[in-house]
Amino acid sequence: MQVDPFIDPHPNLTPAVLQGLGWLYLVLCAMNLWWTIRVYREDKHVMVPVLNIELPRATFWALYTSALMIVGFMHVSWTNEDYIDRFPLVLEPGGPFQTAIDFVVANPVTYFMISISGTIAVLWFRKFLVQPTVGWILLNAAVLFQALSMTDYDFRQIVGKPDNVPIVALLYLVGGFTWLYFYKAVENDRRLAEWDGEGPIPVLENDENEKVLVWPDLVYSELICMIAITTLLIVWGIVLEAPLEEPASSAKTPNPSKAPWYFLGLQEMLVYYDPWLAGVVFPTMILGGLMAIPYIDFNRIGNGYYVFRQRAFSIITFLVGFITLWVAMIVLGTFLRGPNWNIFGIYEYWDVHKLEALNNVMLSELFYLDWFGQFFDMPSYGNDDPMGKKVSMILLRELPGFAVIGIYFVALPPLLAITCLRTFYQRMGYLRFMVFTQLLLWMAALPLKMVLRWALNLKYLVNIPEYFFNI
Amino acid sequence: MADDRPSIEEILAMARSQDGDSGGPADTSEPADAEAAPAAEEAEAAAETPEETPEAKPSKPAAPAAKPSGVSDILAMARSQDSGGASETPAAEEAETPEETPEAKPAKPAAPAAKPSGASDILAMARAQDSSGTAETPVADAPPAKEAAAEDDEPSSESPASAGDGSRPSVQEMLQQLRQTDGAGQAAGPVSETTSEKPMPVRPAAPEAPVAPPTPGRRSVLVALMLAPTQLIATPFAMAWTALTAACGAMVLGLARFMFPNTLVEPPMTFKIGPPSDYPPESVSTKFKAERSIWIVRSTMYNGQDQIVAISTVCTHLGCTPNWLEGEQKFKCPCHGSGFYKSGVNFEGPAPRPLERHGLQLAPDGMLEVDKSKKFQEELGQWEDGTSFVSS
Repeated sequence: MQVDPFIDPHPNLTPAVLQGLGWLYLVLCAMNLWWTIRVYREDKHVMVPVLNIELPRATFWALYTSALMIVGFMHVSWTNEDYIDRFPLVLEPGGPFQTAIDFVVANPVTYFMISISGTIAVLWFRKFLVQPTVGWILLNAAVLFQALSMTDYDFRQIVGKPDNVPIVALLYLVGGFTWLYFYKAVENDRRLAEWDGEGPIPVLENDENEKVLVWPDLVYSELICMIAITTLLIVWGIVLEAPLEEPASSAKTPNPSKAPWYFLGLQEMLVYYDPWLAGVVFPTMILGGLMAIPYIDFNRIGNGYYVFRQRAFSIITFLVGFITLWVAMIVLGTFLRGPNWNIFGIYEYWDVHKLEALNNVMLSELFYLDWFGQFFDMPSYGNDDPMGKKVSMILLRELPGFAVIGIYFVALPPLLAITCLRTFYQRMGYLRFMVFTQLLLWMAALPLKMVLRWALNLKYLVNIPEYFFNI
Repeated sequence: MADDRPSIEEILAMARSQDGDSGGPADTSEPADAEAAPAAEEAEAAAETPEETPEAKPSKPAAPAAKPSGVSDILAMARSQDSGGASETPAAEEAETPEETPEAKPAKPAAPAAKPSGASDILAMARAQDSSGTAETPVADAPPAKEAAAEDDEPSSESPASAGDGSRPSVQEMLQQLRQTDGAGQAAGPVSETTSEKPMPVRPAAPEAPVAPPTPGRRSVLVALMLAPTQLIATPFAMAWTALTAACGAMVLGLARFMFPNTLVEPPMTFKIGPPSDYPPESVSTKFKAERSIWIVRSTMYNGQDQIVAISTVCTHLGCTPNWLEGEQKFKCPCHGSGFYKSGVNFEGPAPRPLERHGLQLAPDGMLEVDKSKKFQEELGQWEDGTSFVSS
């Protein structure tokens, strides 16, 4: 059956899509051909359990590569539009796979849990994950997942949008560089554990410390990189056209209205915090905090080479902050936020009328109405009351919120100093420790507020709309 | 001269090697020694790369040099070098330090005469030697200057350290550290040229300060005032500044003029939106959203009274324009998901307060009239104001 745009305006498959995917599979096939040769040269064998014969490991990779080639050619040669709906390798709309994934990612709670537990899992299983074979399998899995998902119209709309292409590249780049870091760090950890303390430190970086000349070695490399990047940008600029939209109008905001991709983390913060906090205070704290790291850091070892154990705290803090609180927020904002800033699954149609029941409340309302309604009355004031009464009533109303924030920022640092961060306090001294804990608490404030929003529907801890002060 | 200048690596190496025996020299005066200790620690911290130290050691022999014992020795040496120094590259040196040479010359005749009075004389002398081209013994002529400077109890013994010409800042810093490290006696080696010539150019500059003119009479003040404007174009330099100031001033004036356009194309703040009968009960009209940025809402939702209100289309969170969703009966902002009831009261998302109302009145001709210059905020109790709604 031919695809008729009037019958189905959102076709899952078109000949162009099959062509593109075919080439993607063929590229993946070529990559795996290289990998198969690499494995073959290593000449390792593996015992097949059932057949009880020993085969070279390259056999399995060769089989997989052949399968990819067949799949690739099948895509490329499937040009007959009449039979396009009979193409076998397509995600059936509404299938269990898509439903399960949509269920997981379209809910901020599960999404956040997945991102944080994924980060912890990467840290925990780093020795397993840094094996080259595991890394290669992960890369293949990611590409296959994306290729198969491309047969879904809604997924294609989100991922294929010219604006969002950098984010797809970013996912692969972040994954690749994180893997590379752990690969080197695990190796250096191993070497340092075996080191007897004699001689130069036996890290990877010292294996090849021959110095080269700035001119010509470095300058030539830079020139080549410059040309390569320029070429890439030109090709990108020609192939992916800039998404032109209707003329701007102050009365009409695009729906959804998204910040540039690198600011989507900030936009996600704005969902949970007042503009002056999420737009001014948090970015300032992030920049200032990043600049303060060298002065806070008291760890004298682990500089100049990749390592995990010697700098475990710094690296865990950084990875959680960068991957969970920044990259994951960018991904959420790019791929999952749809019309009306509702969260949609990656295979879900962007329905403007999707209804998400949210009835956000303030902490003062929870405190005075829900939790302790029988003991206290909600402090209120009339319009004609004198200024002093108004202010005191507002302060009394927001007392629970101020108390929570006071405990968080004033009482927690000393508490941490005598409990779980005791060694930090001893090594850092009072002032540095206070700066450090404040920054840490600010960083933790975002996920905590998110949890409060999901658990209690809490909008603001302190809500003084009368004076534009909300926390 | 450029060849005599030590490379950064050599200086580092020297710093490292002196760091090793900083307590050594016997003729080091006490205060200088006390200064040397912390500086040595600094030098050690700077040169921490341990594997390079052995390589650096061999360069040390450049440092030690003949140590004269007193001022008279220095003078004698200076004189002999002055007269007998076979110049190998005098032209090159003078070419590179032209501003120093004339000042250094007068110091030369002063040197043979009797005793120099202080460190400055000795330094000048050293510089004079320098300019007369004792290029083959750069190592030898530095220590006298250094030592004399240190033995002299004047604070001026610190002055070489403060020489920060900015020509080669990193080298200067290292030199300074080096000087402090070697106390008074240790030879500064090939760096001596820089140490001795740097501080000097500053000193003779002082007497050239302009002398205050004699007090003018009343008439001459008047004349000066009248002639003052001519100063604005007296020299090309003054003309350039005057022109720049005038251009900037004209630009500011033009900008100020821009703020008051001849015609204002924006619509008037007060306008009529038709009779109340145009707005059926429980309805939201979006027909003025695009042009006037208001919704006309007729509802009993806020306080039970049937009111017509003009609600601003600016989200109270960050200023986006929400959309009216008829099916869900709510205003929903596309930027961060804030939601408002039909009455304008916020209930979901991050918006901290209700949408704002504009003024609305029934004009004498029976038409509803919106006044956008007024705004009414619910959280301030302004929605009670009679001009914020029309009862129907």
